[in-house]
Amino acid sequence: MSGHGFLLANYVPGSSLLHRAPLWLKFLLVVGCGMASFLIVDWAAAAAALAVMCSLFLLSGAGVSRLFRAVRPVLPVLAAIGLLQWWQLGGPTAARIVLNVLVCIVAASVLTATTAVQRLLDGVASLAKPFQRFGADPERFALTIAIMLRSIPFIAGAYSDVRDSARARGLERNPRALILPVFITTVAFARQTGDALAARGLGEADTEEHAPPTAPAAGYAVP
Amino acid sequence: MSLIALDRVAVRVAVDGRPAPKTLLAELTLRLTEQRIGIIGANGSGKSTLLRLLNGLVLPSSGTVTVDKWDTARSVREVRRRVGFVFTDPLSQLVMPTGREDVELSLRRSVRNARERSRQAESTLDRFGLLPLADQSIYELSGGERQLLALAAVLAVDPEVLVLDEPSTLLDLRNRELLRRTLAGLSQQVILSTHDLELALDLDRVLVVDAGAVVFDGGPADAVAHYRALCAAGLPATGAAADAARPVLPVLPVLPVLESPQRAPRPGQP
Repeated sequence: MSGHGFLLANYVPGSSLLHRAPLWLKFLLVVGCGMASFLIVDWAAAAAALAVMCSLFLLSGAGVSRLFRAVRPVLPVLAAIGLLQWWQLGGPTAARIVLNVLVCIVAASVLTATTAVQRLLDGVASLAKPFQRFGADPERFALTIAIMLRSIPFIAGAYSDVRDSARARGLERNPRALILPVFITTVAFARQTGDALAARGLGEADTEEHAPPTAPAAGYAVP
Repeated sequence: MSLIALDRVAVRVAVDGRPAPKTLLAELTLRLTEQRIGIIGANGSGKSTLLRLLNGLVLPSSGTVTVDKWDTARSVREVRRRVGFVFTDPLSQLVMPTGREDVELSLRRSVRNARERSRQAESTLDRFGLLPLADQSIYELSGGERQLLALAAVLAVDPEVLVLDEPSTLLDLRNRELLRRTLAGLSQQVILSTHDLELALDLDRVLVVDAGAVVFDGGPADAVAHYRALCAAGLPATGAAADAARPVLPVLPVLPVLESPQRAPRPGQP
């Protein structure tokens, strides 16, 4: 796969204040930014919040290029949203909406760039513990997050590969030549990932029947 | 060492438009007791199906597969704790963005303490000489490094049996040799499918699979000879034999199309 675009920044090992900050505080920062995006009604305030988030990101030592890579994939979509909102609601509202989305993305990137994935998964598993009494498995919650983090760059990479091969065949303007192969590749990837997780015993229920074999298994399953 | 036993096992799948199910693996009974076992055969012969039966990725349509008396259909968790599985393409197996994180993911079930998990992951990576690459993206690793990493991630939980589905298919000569040496140094029982006949010759016992049936089971040299004979019998004739056969071949109706410099556009195409 040639392209591995990633919406959020990968973990950057380090010992900055943000790296050492407790996970709950960083979670709170992301949740706070998400809520603030509904509350901030002034584009200048949104711009100030974005400046603060970018400064925090750079303080972690992750670098400008990583910051740019984290927001780059979403820029075309934001440009389209911004233009539509500008046409519908005017410049200040369009700027506020676009800046608020960027604040959320950079805040999430601060979390992922300064927190090792395993620590993130431990945090998700801890957060999900109260649901255990309802039969939920916290480890499955954590695994779901891990799979999501892995799948985003894969799908972006698959799209990049399909676009290249469509270009090579002169089909870059044919949406079917772009969408269908990405869809098929993604489904195949999901099946492979399911197989890989099953083979490693990940995501399985903690309880299962442990009876010795008494009769041949009925039916079959081919993943 | 775990005892893997297949008792009158068959695998069949329903195929759309066919009244009878397709047989992927005809009924077979096996006891896999040797330390290094290989499965060779043509593409689509049933090697992967046979391997996938061993840790419950495929369940038998009839019969039973047991690992130390644990039935793969009933006690899949116990089976997978004992039987590790390595896929042909390590990228389809590695779930996390870096090697360290992937090995730690393998250990999540068995090691609850994060610090201890991290220590064990480092120790596993170090054992395979992968510690310097631990924090690199899996996409930046070479094919051989990825395959070693996939192996390390499976061996981190110390299974008793290691099943590998064509582990050397995507590797160059150097990495193939590295993999061969690594496998030779493992204490686990190793069961693998391969197209690498040199690798097959290193094993203790080799099964030859053809069209969903085990057609030979024995020593590696005899198995490879049997497989070569099987392949030769299935090849189209060449040389004098082909010259003799040529007059009876039908004239291909597509030839005029192939010789035509331009194909007619389909309706709706420019």
